[in-house]
Amino acid sequence: MDHKIRPQTVAEAVIERILAEISAGQLQPDQRLPPQREIARRLGVSNSSVREALQSLQTMGVVDDYVLEIRNLVKDFPGVRAVDDVSFNVRRNTVHCLVGENGAGKSTLIKILTGAYLRTSGTILLNGTEYVAYNPREARQKGIATLFQELNVVDQLTVEDNLTLGVEDVKFGFLTKSRKIRQMLEVLRSIEPSIEPKQKVGKLSVAKKQIVEIAKAAASEADIIIMDEPTAALSEGEIKRLFRIIRGLKEKNVTVIYISHRLDEIFEIGDVVTVMRDGKHIATKPVAEVKDRAELIKMMIGKAVFEQYVPREIGAEAALLEVRHLTTDKLHDISFAVRPGEIVGFYGLVGAGKTELARAIFGADRYSGEIYFKNRKLACHPAGAIEAGIALVPEERRTQGLFPILTIRDNIPVMSMAKVACGGFVDSAKEREAAEQFVKALNIVTSSIEKQMFKLSGGNQQKVVFSKCLFADTDLLILDEPTRGIDVGAKSEIYSIIRELAAQGKAIVFFSSELPEILNSCDRIFLLYDGRLKAEIQNGPHVDSEKIIHIVTGGE
Amino acid sequence: MMHTLITEVRQKANGKGMSNLSFITLAMFGVLVAVFGVASLLVPRFFDINNVSNLIAQQADIIIGIGVTFLMISGYFDLSVGGIIAMAAVLSAYFSQAPSAASFELGSGLGIPYGLALVLTLICCVGIGAINAFFIVKMKIASVIVTLGTLAFSRGIAMIVAQGDQRNTGLPPIFKECGSFTFVGTLNLAVLIMIVLLIGALIVEKKTVFGRRMYQIGANQTAARLSGVKVDRELSLLYMLSALLGGISGIVMASKFNSGNCALGTGYEFDALVVTVLGGTSVFGGFGSVAGMVIGAFILGILSTSVNMLGFPPSLQMLVRALVIIVAILAQRFALDRRNV
Repeated sequence: MDHKIRPQTVAEAVIERILAEISAGQLQPDQRLPPQREIARRLGVSNSSVREALQSLQTMGVVDDYVLEIRNLVKDFPGVRAVDDVSFNVRRNTVHCLVGENGAGKSTLIKILTGAYLRTSGTILLNGTEYVAYNPREARQKGIATLFQELNVVDQLTVEDNLTLGVEDVKFGFLTKSRKIRQMLEVLRSIEPSIEPKQKVGKLSVAKKQIVEIAKAAASEADIIIMDEPTAALSEGEIKRLFRIIRGLKEKNVTVIYISHRLDEIFEIGDVVTVMRDGKHIATKPVAEVKDRAELIKMMIGKAVFEQYVPREIGAEAALLEVRHLTTDKLHDISFAVRPGEIVGFYGLVGAGKTELARAIFGADRYSGEIYFKNRKLACHPAGAIEAGIALVPEERRTQGLFPILTIRDNIPVMSMAKVACGGFVDSAKEREAAEQFVKALNIVTSSIEKQMFKLSGGNQQKVVFSKCLFADTDLLILDEPTRGIDVGAKSEIYSIIRELAAQGKAIVFFSSELPEILNSCDRIFLLYDGRLKAEIQNGPHVDSEKIIHIVTGGE
Repeated sequence: MMHTLITEVRQKANGKGMSNLSFITLAMFGVLVAVFGVASLLVPRFFDINNVSNLIAQQADIIIGIGVTFLMISGYFDLSVGGIIAMAAVLSAYFSQAPSAASFELGSGLGIPYGLALVLTLICCVGIGAINAFFIVKMKIASVIVTLGTLAFSRGIAMIVAQGDQRNTGLPPIFKECGSFTFVGTLNLAVLIMIVLLIGALIVEKKTVFGRRMYQIGANQTAARLSGVKVDRELSLLYMLSALLGGISGIVMASKFNSGNCALGTGYEFDALVVTVLGGTSVFGGFGSVAGMVIGAFILGILSTSVNMLGFPPSLQMLVRALVIIVAILAQRFALDRRNV
């Protein structure tokens, strides 16, 4: 035989044998390969050499090794198609980034993978076999672990106990310290030697807690670790260390699905990026082939067609609301003013401080700095704010905005019971009248005002929350994500309510993480990033949405 | 004809005509009628006017049940009422006993005029309610824990003042009037007080803004706060109201027995909880009614009387009650779930 083509290394030998198996028809590269472990066992070689071999084969374009294949995935919610016919593949041992605006369908997709939601239709293949999980635990057992934003560690337990939580070895009802635990600690040490196994997790920083979770996932032989905005709460240095760990995970035969709004991170850590928009799959391509942020942003927002903003005349009256040097642990020195009849928008990504700002103005959270309303200093509690003439549509409709088990009639007058009462006694005729009036005016679809709130659809629930605020008849309305999770029809109805209120001379402060709705409703737009006001923009036809995205994703 | 009737009933049951609250209250009223019927048939001498009127007169747990129900509607517990009953009973006796009527210590008190003694007693009780409110509302400690503590605390005061016994000598003649002054038949002052308080409670619950706030806080405290409800104030008032009702109940009971006994009201906090839950009030808050609680109190009263008259030993009585409560609560849950699909 010709010595020149004799394999020089084990990897090359493995490549040769895999190629031989492919030509013999035992392996089918055009479809999918069995898990590496299985190939390694069949060939009698080590896992790592198989991985190396497959990587070379992949770069040669001979095989495609996908750990996850998503085909025609659909998820419907009442009135909304959250995931619309999405298909893409995730190559093994890569960092696969998932980007898109809020409401693009990323979270829904992830929730299907982690077993929190059931898909409406479509196929998911994990390692080539049909995958379905009914809960996160099952997903983890099948090989998909998730690093949620809300970390899943128990602060009161030690690092060691956290690692083995749920996978403890039990002998005669007693815990035993087995090989498995030692293996897990080994993995942890290889990732981050500074974490002591006997340490209480509560004493660790958020970053280190994440590492404990990553170690747990890696040690339990997860094929995929999904990371949902893992850097949201990390410092610069911690982010660097996390990225180093993520790169290390690839060596450990783990694929990472990485979700982040910080686009720079995608370029730093990502191998492949998938862009989603309005529930649809827009593109999947290697990060190396993406030119720059601008290209990514263009794919994310598309050529969204929405109602054009019509510039309005705002009277030159004195400011109704004046915020001066507002500072909390999440907000830094925020100052602005709002005039009567004006719609002021605050746009920023999740975690930029929108909700914190909305709550602070309303007096729901403590702050330093001053807020003046109608030239008087505002007391720091919601009851005082409402009395002064401010109402809030809170971020979370179900947990903060309404009383799910009470009826529509009970919900609407809550903010100003005095209007339906006389000397502390409720006038039920007035109460009913008020409810009927708002059900009609806001077109709330219900069989009766005596219907309990939780039985209404999201859009109708939100209209009741609006009714609550409108009934209080305040001069300023703070809206925090007022159209989240409601269908298109209800959304446009809510936009027209907002415009009408402004026309009546009421001031609106509108917080949203959906740029189109900010652009179509607001007269002035403030951009928030990391708790700071980054820019103020007068809305009009010249507004450059790509530049806005550039700023709120951390660009200068 | 029959068919339309069935559809009508079904429609009602589907929530078209009736609220869940009326549905549960009506259902429990049905249970009450059934329990009463069965008891009348099975228990000899049960269906007797004296017995039935006694049943009404004995409902001490109804008065404390009002406060407990209001708090549970708001999503909170009050277990301290049993101890407050004992404290009120002993203090009302101690305050009004003649200063040196007897040579032994338990026989002599402060000699305060009865009216003033009652006011002082009630102020002490409201003080316990204020302690509850402080720890639960301001310090954010779980209400079960706090009121368990004040339950022991108030009974402890009763035991100290009554030296682990009772104060029943040297009481002014008016002391026993409250519990035994009779208008007609079995309608005595104690029953009248109960009826007046009940009517007041029903008005507060159904007609006042204060009543609406209880449901709002219980249904979603965060939303209530963000809607400008003064949650802390409302809850504090409710805890003080509940303690006040416990005090009234204790005074009436002491008057009935003409004695300030530190063992009075033992286990009443439990009974008050039971009748509240029997009446359909949700332990998660936001749902329930005083009317339901009254029905629950009568169901429990009939059961206790029946097993008693049938000669069951006290240990078995306890078991029967426990069983009925569990069945009733399961049935309510089942009925509401079926209704709300």
